[in-house]
Amino acid sequence: MRTLLVISAFVLTLQLTAQTPYETGMNNAFALWQDQKNTEAVQLFERIAAAESDNWLPPYYAGLIEIVSSFGLKDEALLTTKLTRAKTFLDAASEISENNPEILISYALLNTAYIAFDGAKYGMTLSAENAAIYDKAQKIAPNNPRVVLSKAEWDMGSARFFGKSIAPFCADIERAIGLFQEEEQTIKYYPYSGLDRAKEISANCKKETSPE
Amino acid sequence: MRTLLLCVLTLVHISLTAQTTVSGRVLDHNETPIMGVNIYLSGTYDGTATNEAGIFSFNTNVTGMQTLIASSISYETFSKTADVTTFTNITIKLRDDVNTLDAVTVNAGTFKAGDNAKVTALKPLDIVTTAGALGDFVGALQTLPGTSNVAEDGRLFVRGGDAEETQIFVDGMRVFTPYSPSANNIPARGRLSPFLFKGITFSTGGYSAEYGQALSSVLLLNSINEPQEEKTEISLMTVGVGLGNTQKWKKSALSINTNYINLAPYQHLYPDNNEWHKPVESFGGEAVYRYRFQNEGLLKVYGAYSASNFELTQADINEVNGVRFGLKNNNLYINSSYQDFLEKEWSFSSGVSFANDQTDITLNSSNITDIENSAHLKIALQKYFSSRYKLNFGAEYFITDFKENYRDNTVNTSYTFNNNLLASFVETDVFFSKRLATKIGLRAEYSSLLQEFNLSPRVSLAYKSGENAQFSLAYGEFFQNPKNGYLIYNADFTAEKTSHYIANYQYVKNKQIFRAEAYYKDYGNLVKYNTEFALPSSIFNNNGNGFAKGLDLFWRDNKTIKNTEYWMSYSFLDTERNYQNYPNTATPNFASKHNASLVVKRWVEKWKSQIGFSYNFASGRTYTDPNKGGFLLEKAKSFNSLNVNYAYLIDQQKILYLSVSNVLGTKNINGYQYTDQPNTNGIFERRTITPAADRFFFVGFFWTISKNKNDNQLDNL
Repeated sequence: MRTLLVISAFVLTLQLTAQTPYETGMNNAFALWQDQKNTEAVQLFERIAAAESDNWLPPYYAGLIEIVSSFGLKDEALLTTKLTRAKTFLDAASEISENNPEILISYALLNTAYIAFDGAKYGMTLSAENAAIYDKAQKIAPNNPRVVLSKAEWDMGSARFFGKSIAPFCADIERAIGLFQEEEQTIKYYPYSGLDRAKEISANCKKETSPE
Repeated sequence: MRTLLLCVLTLVHISLTAQTTVSGRVLDHNETPIMGVNIYLSGTYDGTATNEAGIFSFNTNVTGMQTLIASSISYETFSKTADVTTFTNITIKLRDDVNTLDAVTVNAGTFKAGDNAKVTALKPLDIVTTAGALGDFVGALQTLPGTSNVAEDGRLFVRGGDAEETQIFVDGMRVFTPYSPSANNIPARGRLSPFLFKGITFSTGGYSAEYGQALSSVLLLNSINEPQEEKTEISLMTVGVGLGNTQKWKKSALSINTNYINLAPYQHLYPDNNEWHKPVESFGGEAVYRYRFQNEGLLKVYGAYSASNFELTQADINEVNGVRFGLKNNNLYINSSYQDFLEKEWSFSSGVSFANDQTDITLNSSNITDIENSAHLKIALQKYFSSRYKLNFGAEYFITDFKENYRDNTVNTSYTFNNNLLASFVETDVFFSKRLATKIGLRAEYSSLLQEFNLSPRVSLAYKSGENAQFSLAYGEFFQNPKNGYLIYNADFTAEKTSHYIANYQYVKNKQIFRAEAYYKDYGNLVKYNTEFALPSSIFNNNGNGFAKGLDLFWRDNKTIKNTEYWMSYSFLDTERNYQNYPNTATPNFASKHNASLVVKRWVEKWKSQIGFSYNFASGRTYTDPNKGGFLLEKAKSFNSLNVNYAYLIDQQKILYLSVSNVLGTKNINGYQYTDQPNTNGIFERRTITPAADRFFFVGFFWTISKNKNDNQLDNL
């Protein structure tokens, strides 16, 4: 009996130390991201990507963090360096998972980072590119809530620019919320998030479009 | 037994978790520690980042051969494969990534436009929204330093060179007849529509060995690889109408643009100082087809056809009834290129361009017909050894077949020549570090007509002296065959040549660019002849020579004033030459000593409008006054023009565009024409040559129909 106990204890600890380093790594990386330690998070995702060569999630997150953290930068050299790096991560991710709507909309976000930095320089070519990306993503995954949400956000941006009503896109946001709530979350670490953002935009919509 | 088992198990456990420590330092090329470098064993989860001292240390359970990776933003990634136990206390030196925006660029002589450029003097939109440019890409380039304003010509005159010294290339292939023909004293327009191109490189000297047969300058245009979406574009303009359509398929895309221009209604409303019998009428069509192969190879075929005609009588002081001039032109241009990426970082590009141009000119009672058939074939290979070392080499062949027929009441003669030119080039780009780079090339040309072989070396060097500043130097030898107009009468020539010496300083910081460039150009072997015009009876030689020296300044600021961008250019030019029929060395009449321009654009959010203006100044150009004697000794008054434009976005897909050139109606003078014979008082009378009209108005309405409601033709204007 005691032998059995010792053995099982040993096996258990062995498992604890050897078990799914992927999960440990991903959890640590998300924790770093949560703590705003973007560089460290990207680095960890990069390491995981190198170890998990057939999983698109680690390079996807590495790219996404680089993109998100480049908004608001003032130095063009740093911006392009970060975004070029982000693009290599996204390219690696899409090589593993072709025509993935989540990766596609991250490319659109990458373009948006450039446009936000200098609309006159990048707007003309990249906004057309974004329109094409959203078109493609919509064809592949018409009911992906994140595709619906980010396309609606993009359309709202241009509607606001031209002083047009954003009401039709608010309907898209509502649709995205519905899709978010229906979505079955089956894959671990899949980027399911977005519902909160959709709700936030929806609240703004109601404020903006309600008669005063 | 039990104890033994426990011991064994514990031992196994320990051995399973037996660890190796990987440690060391990461430094840059100056031995300065780099912080935050991502260090890991590839394929494992083991790794860390370096600290402030560049030191790292982590433990790993893996054994045997492993690959250690060190990666950091703005450095080249380092990797080393060895037994993991050797990775202790190692020193890793990371090399700067020379592809970053803050790395040095070899740029002496060159301006780049487009968003791929590291330093963008002109943005894609600028090509088409610069006031006064009127949708002609040449117009926007004329606001850059190094160009001379020759209002009555419209073509590019660069650094004391005449317009024929600039060559234009699309996707690396030569454009043989880039400008639509025009009457005397009426500016020519570029044939290529600006919105088919995404990147423009304008070199005012010292350019790459890949290009030749241009004494002064090359303009390189890259066509769009893949259009983004299907669309139809409709343009209604005061001068004509246009229709465009783009179709996309899985692997290919086709864009077609057609336009019909007729200046009759405009000239009826705003008559100019010419008597038009047949106002300018032209029909043109362009098509671009792209096909992407499975292996990423890209084929582009561009075809353009245009037909234009006009007839007018222009005042002439020696002809009471003026000179009647009529012109009919048919032009076909085909440009196809293929680019492919091969194994082992080799890439391959090839192309064929072909032009057929027929011009029929009626001058009073004589008729001249020019037929030119030209072709350019090219093949080039590029090898990318590393981001620090690239090699480009290739060969090209130019065929020109030119025929001129002259007939009047008494004469009917034809002249013809064939010239085939073989050229090869090799060029290498070397980055010694992020701060020092060079480009070295050599070009060889053999002309069958001149039976001559020429070698042109080209070298440029750039050094980054500080975070935002860099210096560049360039030197090159450039050859160009004499003009077609001389070659039809004579073939006993040698190629005309120039040497360029350029020094450049550039300061770039946060959406602000300052650039200063000084240059010296030495001309030799220029063609001379002994008659008023080049004629079959002229005696030709190659004894002409000349020089040009000057300073070009450029300042662009997109930062200081919100929603406003502006740029300023100033060029100082000192040039003299003895060529053509010049009796002595003189400053040619297309060169002005001072050229300046200011371009301002402001986006007004509230009105959804872009308002722009540009101001061009050129000091007076030389002319000969027979009453005073001498040759090109007098100077006309300076040129001034203020142009405004206004683009209003009616909605996402409809744009209204207004533009007025020379809004103040400044009376500019293009030159003077003197009588051939003095009058009874012994004085040569003169006529002032002024622009056909002081102002030019343009109103256009542009409508884009596409699935994507955000697209519009703003980029076409």
